[in-house]
Amino acid sequence: MKELSLGGLTRRLVHFAVSLFILLCVTFVIGRVMPTDPVGAIVGELAEPAAYEAMRARLGLDLPLYQQFFIYLKGLLHGDLGTAILTGNPVARDLTQAFPATLELATLAIIISTVVGVPLGLVAALFRDSFIDKFARVFALIGHSIPVFWFGIVGLVVFYAWLSLVGGPGRVDVFYEGIIEPTTGLMLVDSLLEGEPEIFWNALSHIILPAAILAYMAMAYITRMTRSFTLEQLNQDYVIAARAKGVGPARTVISHVLPNIAVQLITVLAISYGNLLEGAVITEIVFSWPGIGQYMTNALMIGDMNAILASTIIIGFIFMFLNFAADIAYALLDPRTREVAR
Amino acid sequence: MRHICTRLLVGAVVGALTLTSPAAFAKTPANQLVIATSLAQVLSLDPHQATEAKANEIMANLYDRLISVDSSGKVSPQLAESWEADDKGITFHLREAEFASGNPVTSADVVYSITRLLKMDQASAANLKRVGYNAGNVEKLVTAPDEKTVRIDLSGETTSELLLYRLAMVIASVVDSEEVKSHESNGDWGNGWLRTNSAGSGPFTLNRWTPNEIVILEANENYVGGEPKMRRVVVRHVPESQVERLMLERGDVDIASALSASDLATFNGKEGFEIQRVPTGGFYVLSMNAGKEPLSNPKVREAIAYGIDYKGMEKAIMGPYGRARTVPVPENFEYAIPSPDWQLDVEKAKALLAEAGYKDGFTLTLKTIAQTPRIDLATAIQASLGEIGITVNIQQGNGSDIIAAHRARDFDLLIPQTGAYMPNVLGSMEQFSSNPDNSREANNAGNFVWRSAWDIPELTALTAKASLEPDSKKRGEIYVQMQEMFVAQKPAVLPLFERFEPIVVSKRVQDYVGHPSQTTRLEGVTKTD
Repeated sequence: MKELSLGGLTRRLVHFAVSLFILLCVTFVIGRVMPTDPVGAIVGELAEPAAYEAMRARLGLDLPLYQQFFIYLKGLLHGDLGTAILTGNPVARDLTQAFPATLELATLAIIISTVVGVPLGLVAALFRDSFIDKFARVFALIGHSIPVFWFGIVGLVVFYAWLSLVGGPGRVDVFYEGIIEPTTGLMLVDSLLEGEPEIFWNALSHIILPAAILAYMAMAYITRMTRSFTLEQLNQDYVIAARAKGVGPARTVISHVLPNIAVQLITVLAISYGNLLEGAVITEIVFSWPGIGQYMTNALMIGDMNAILASTIIIGFIFMFLNFAADIAYALLDPRTREVAR
Repeated sequence: MRHICTRLLVGAVVGALTLTSPAAFAKTPANQLVIATSLAQVLSLDPHQATEAKANEIMANLYDRLISVDSSGKVSPQLAESWEADDKGITFHLREAEFASGNPVTSADVVYSITRLLKMDQASAANLKRVGYNAGNVEKLVTAPDEKTVRIDLSGETTSELLLYRLAMVIASVVDSEEVKSHESNGDWGNGWLRTNSAGSGPFTLNRWTPNEIVILEANENYVGGEPKMRRVVVRHVPESQVERLMLERGDVDIASALSASDLATFNGKEGFEIQRVPTGGFYVLSMNAGKEPLSNPKVREAIAYGIDYKGMEKAIMGPYGRARTVPVPENFEYAIPSPDWQLDVEKAKALLAEAGYKDGFTLTLKTIAQTPRIDLATAIQASLGEIGITVNIQQGNGSDIIAAHRARDFDLLIPQTGAYMPNVLGSMEQFSSNPDNSREANNAGNFVWRSAWDIPELTALTAKASLEPDSKKRGEIYVQMQEMFVAQKPAVLPLFERFEPIVVSKRVQDYVGHPSQTTRLEGVTKTD
């Protein structure tokens, strides 16, 4: 397994550290030159200049930029992400609340989009130019081109206000708020852990619509890619040979084509999952979903640097992790790399 | 552009579908009040720090003050059951009451609270500092002769009547001194803890606050007025107006504030809902930077006052949000004078500009927060000032950008909003008529007039005189003079519209009356099934 060798791993980690550092520098500079005023946000519009200056000093904003950055890095190396201005809490604590909300939503969305999108792409490729192929293409195109804001509101009007099939915005109905103590932060898991099936079903009714809408967006990409990967394989000699031997179309796809496209497909799924985990800002706003996308947007609005940087690190981390996971999967699934390893 | 089209499309679909929707209503529990609003500005729930309107509404239910003011301006008891004012100060007699922690409310708590407000010296402290109370003299002026008596001596810069109004503000909330002291760290007066917790004697306690998500208040069993009818009050952050509207229609929330004008309009005359226009005593204002040409010229400012279509904007944009008014005192207040004859008069405005030497007009930048209705006001002002030859470029920004520019005098035109801290002329007007030192070095960025670099020594002196006049009739006369002088000086802080907060209340909710200073108390609110 060449890809998983120690040298490869170290090189990858160094790459990651360097890119994360560059990312931090850029975010820090952008965040500081933005004309936002975190001090004004805290002390209020009518504060006296003395109170304003005192708060500025307390936040360390009176120091030169490089010193502020240095102090931040020092804290970071000690595992201290700093305190968020907006919430007054340690950023790490805020993130343990915001991130699970996004994780739950993104995970459900990627499951739905995989379960529906991959088969749809396969079938579309198999019956190329048939009705079902055209349908899949149009379906994917719509998902790709209509703004999520529109889908969110119309989805709420139809399924929540009109048909009463799903719960409204937020993670649970208001009267269930504050009952579940977060263990994992995932409402669906925590409610079951505490033996509250009623809250589980309520949470499910709240998450299903935003998850389905995000899944549709992601599916557009997954279906199109699956279709084109499959089409490419269908023209290969091995497929023609298999068909000539009398293997049926379904078996050809499942036993021969699918393993061959699995590697590419996993990369596509990893990228989609990464995008979803970044926090779907608009979806989170429409559905009043307290995830990392909303957290980061709010932090950006007032120039809350600690919160912005920490969120950036988390998102950078997620991408690295998913890339890494995709690489492992690549090594495990690709017969050629398996051969090399032996 | 694409965003606007999307919004229009969504609006149309929402409208069409809800018209035909079957009445399938969910219900909030009868013992919980659910309020949907935007919590984006709530950064602290420490009553001696926060000043934002939404935070005030929450804190007014967590804490009691010595006294409160009802919406007509009458002072009524809260923690003080009675008080006597003499010409040296006020003596308050406390009633028997307990904090949510079980500690009794004593005069030491009141003294601690006012001291804490002034020593922490956040924006909220300005309300007492403006009348001569500060960290240096508080220990001398605010004392506790015995456990149930509080004595507040006059500072010499206010009358006892006007001091009462200030003590009725949320900033003068009484906190549980024992509890707060136990959470102090690094001399922060317990601020780090109290920002996100409560230690009061009000009808509710703070159960949970997650910024930009939710605030949950729990009924306080120890409340002196008896346990409130609502077991919980849930304030939910719903940033999208259309979503808020759906939740209200569906019955998932009981009260919705921060609705956009078009969503608000759909509840007009709708069965099961009532629109309340809660007056704020404040204004939408056009601030002009009088510190530089050409706005330093009073003729130019007068031309602008004649270059705005107040009535047209009131009809097309403001609707439930406001009423045209160019004197910074709401029309229904005692001693309010009628608005001057400023109205859109293109000829007159052009003549004034020509007199001032700007026959060919000039270009100005207008900065505003990108928020309903201010963004629409900016567009309308741009159009009507265009008619008199002034080219206006609009620059939008978020709250902190725009406020920072305002504080730094870095603007030509800007649209801020104000609120009144007490329902009388001084309460609404003081921020428009007092600027003790206009020099740049004074850097008095907390002062609304200073930000516009508008130097008004005479009006400032008159305002100070009004706040010291003990005789109410004579004070009334000064109030009238102040307003007349304000108009005569062609204000650089031009009020445009009296500001209302429109809210929609479900008919299931009884006895919810929006308070003009955002101190609506919820202990008496009930709900039907």
